Amino acid sequence: MLAIAAAITLAVGCSQSEPPPFRLNMVEMVSQETSDDYQQEIADVLGALFGTPDEPVALEETGLDANMLARSAGPAWSDEKGVQRGLYRKHCVHCHGISGDGRGPTGRFLNPYPRDYRQGVFKFKGTYTANRPTTDDLHAILNNGIPGTAMPAFSLLPNSSVESLVEYVKYLSMRGQLETALISYVYDELGEDDDGGRIPLDPAADPEQREIVLELLAEIVEDWEAAEQRTIAPDESQIPSDDRTPEEIVASVAKGQQLYHGKEANCYTCHGPTALGDGQQNEWDEWQKVQQKFLEETNRLAKSIQERASQDDQDESSEARLEEDKQTLAKRQEVVDTFYPIRHAIPRNLRQAFYRGGQRRLDIFWRISAGIAGTPMPGSGPASPGATANLSDEEIWNLVDYVMSLPYEPPSRSQEAIVPNKDEIF
Amino acid sequence: MNLVTLPTGCCIRFAALGLALLVVAGCQRAEQLGPVAEASSAERIREAFGATVIEGVEEDASTETVVAGWGSLRGRFVFEGQPPPAESISITKDPEYCGKHDLKEETVTVSADGGLANAFVFLNPKRGETVAVHPDYDQPGIKPIILNNQGCRFEPHALVVYTAQPLEIRNSDPGVGHNTNGQTLGKNAKFNDMVSNQAPVTKKFGKSESQPAEIACSIHPWMKAYVLIRENPYMVVSTADGSFEIKNMPAGEHEFIFWHEAVKSLRGISVGGAETSNKGKVKLTIPADGELDLGEINVPSAALGG
Repeated sequence: MLAIAAAITLAVGCSQSEPPPFRLNMVEMVSQETSDDYQQEIADVLGALFGTPDEPVALEETGLDANMLARSAGPAWSDEKGVQRGLYRKHCVHCHGISGDGRGPTGRFLNPYPRDYRQGVFKFKGTYTANRPTTDDLHAILNNGIPGTAMPAFSLLPNSSVESLVEYVKYLSMRGQLETALISYVYDELGEDDDGGRIPLDPAADPEQREIVLELLAEIVEDWEAAEQRTIAPDESQIPSDDRTPEEIVASVAKGQQLYHGKEANCYTCHGPTALGDGQQNEWDEWQKVQQKFLEETNRLAKSIQERASQDDQDESSEARLEEDKQTLAKRQEVVDTFYPIRHAIPRNLRQAFYRGGQRRLDIFWRISAGIAGTPMPGSGPASPGATANLSDEEIWNLVDYVMSLPYEPPSRSQEAIVPNKDEIF
Repeated sequence: MNLVTLPTGCCIRFAALGLALLVVAGCQRAEQLGPVAEASSAERIREAFGATVIEGVEEDASTETVVAGWGSLRGRFVFEGQPPPAESISITKDPEYCGKHDLKEETVTVSADGGLANAFVFLNPKRGETVAVHPDYDQPGIKPIILNNQGCRFEPHALVVYTAQPLEIRNSDPGVGHNTNGQTLGKNAKFNDMVSNQAPVTKKFGKSESQPAEIACSIHPWMKAYVLIRENPYMVVSTADGSFEIKNMPAGEHEFIFWHEAVKSLRGISVGGAETSNKGKVKLTIPADGELDLGEINVPSAALGG
């Protein structure tokens, strides 16, 4: 029997698997009803502008450093001198996936799920909610990791490696954002109309389309570049000094506690009256919300088809529509079948003495002031430079003091939240 | 020493066959949907881009749009069939206050005489087309559009925002915290701000969104509003009795989009003799110094996913 097995293996061959390709954002594609032809054309345009995982391409317009990308791209291997190449595939791909969609092989087993870069939205950064993270923000995430999640710290890597990975994350993010922009462009302006015409997406043949694609890319790149100037700098005069007396700190903590339970900041409403994160757990973050809405619409479509199919008196156009809808449902169901279990956004348990986005006072200040992009956590500071704020800087620093004092309160010692979906919290 | 007892006889042949099939077929991953970039096409497109010298995007020299007069568009959406019963919302937050308002699902809102409210009708200009804006729309000191968190719901539930007008978000629920979560915006800056009773939050947008965006409140997750932000003022939401009117539009043939939150694009609706396309689009001609009255536009319940 061993001989049979060996013979079969020899016959099939021990071929190296093909290099993995980038895949498309099927949720976006199917929810915008992008036809198969357009899907292929969009894949080709993305392949042209961003290359493949083994051979990245970065147009000068993107401002990405080709050398840094080259170190992160490609298969993981090290040369004679021990210089590591293919950094992304060595360190990141198993969680974040080859396209940066957060669906690497280990993705489904992690809580929280790994980040999907393709929307260009990142939670832990020092910029205003509307803005991208800065290079420093991403660098800090890689260096510090995200405690309380599966994201490790990569501070033992040489700085140049971390820089190279940051560049590659931006590259994957821009690629994902351009994909969404192209899907919208195809839906809004090309696409099939009922009179049967189809304008192909072919920037090689059509200079106007080429210009439009570059415009779309330029908007995306501009956001990334603008972010570098958008770090929230707290008002110097309001920053509490390092040499406060214990009485001053206690007073600040007391004020923070009032604000926590008050109606301006409303922290207790989601984080819970005892700050265990048990106040409200029926919202989703933006990444899960997209999937949840997709699922709900798919179920609604299925129900509608069921109701219509059971009706006997159908005219021709209704029959045709029903058939069309059945095909749409099949495509949507394919995508729904790939979803990981959709999880609610659980507000943070503030009594744990570690913070995902950084444990400096400034990091907590940023979380409260700007909120956390992509999540239900709102901002109470100015939404952009000079905008009106819900809370003053001083009030936010009071909250920072309160939040950072919570782990040291006696009730904070090993308490479990009493909530129905305990398995989603840790 | 045999640590493993091998199956004997015919079983081993089946096992080998299974192994062979597995080796040949490979371990298919669950999700391999969608096409992959085709190398030669990508190469061809890349060459085309490589050849383009980028000196920045040139602003279109604004052409004097000759307006042949102004007209208006009006009509009334009528829901055909049995309107779905308005379901009560289960109030999970601030029940002492929010519970007082008998809140109901507003996805499909039909008046007593069948008028369909909260349906959007908006102009869809081509890319780069300058839309002539009637002077009435661009008055100085233009008033802001108000989106109010009131009675634990958004008032209004559906609204249009012309980029020349700021959007003022208010919280009129005394002692109740609301945050207005606009992270679904595409082209404009996303926002998620706490709104206090004392001071409204003002937003100014600059770009057209391609469809209405869903605005939510994270603290009260049942709260939803649909906001359409466009760079021209020719858009409207149908009122409680289903009627709508857009005044002072440039005369001529234009493409309009018909949209409703229940199904997004309103497709297959008979409008002015034509049918809306799969994307809710239809071409209508606005007469100069006149009015295009679409009359009653029937929206069958099937068109709203019913």
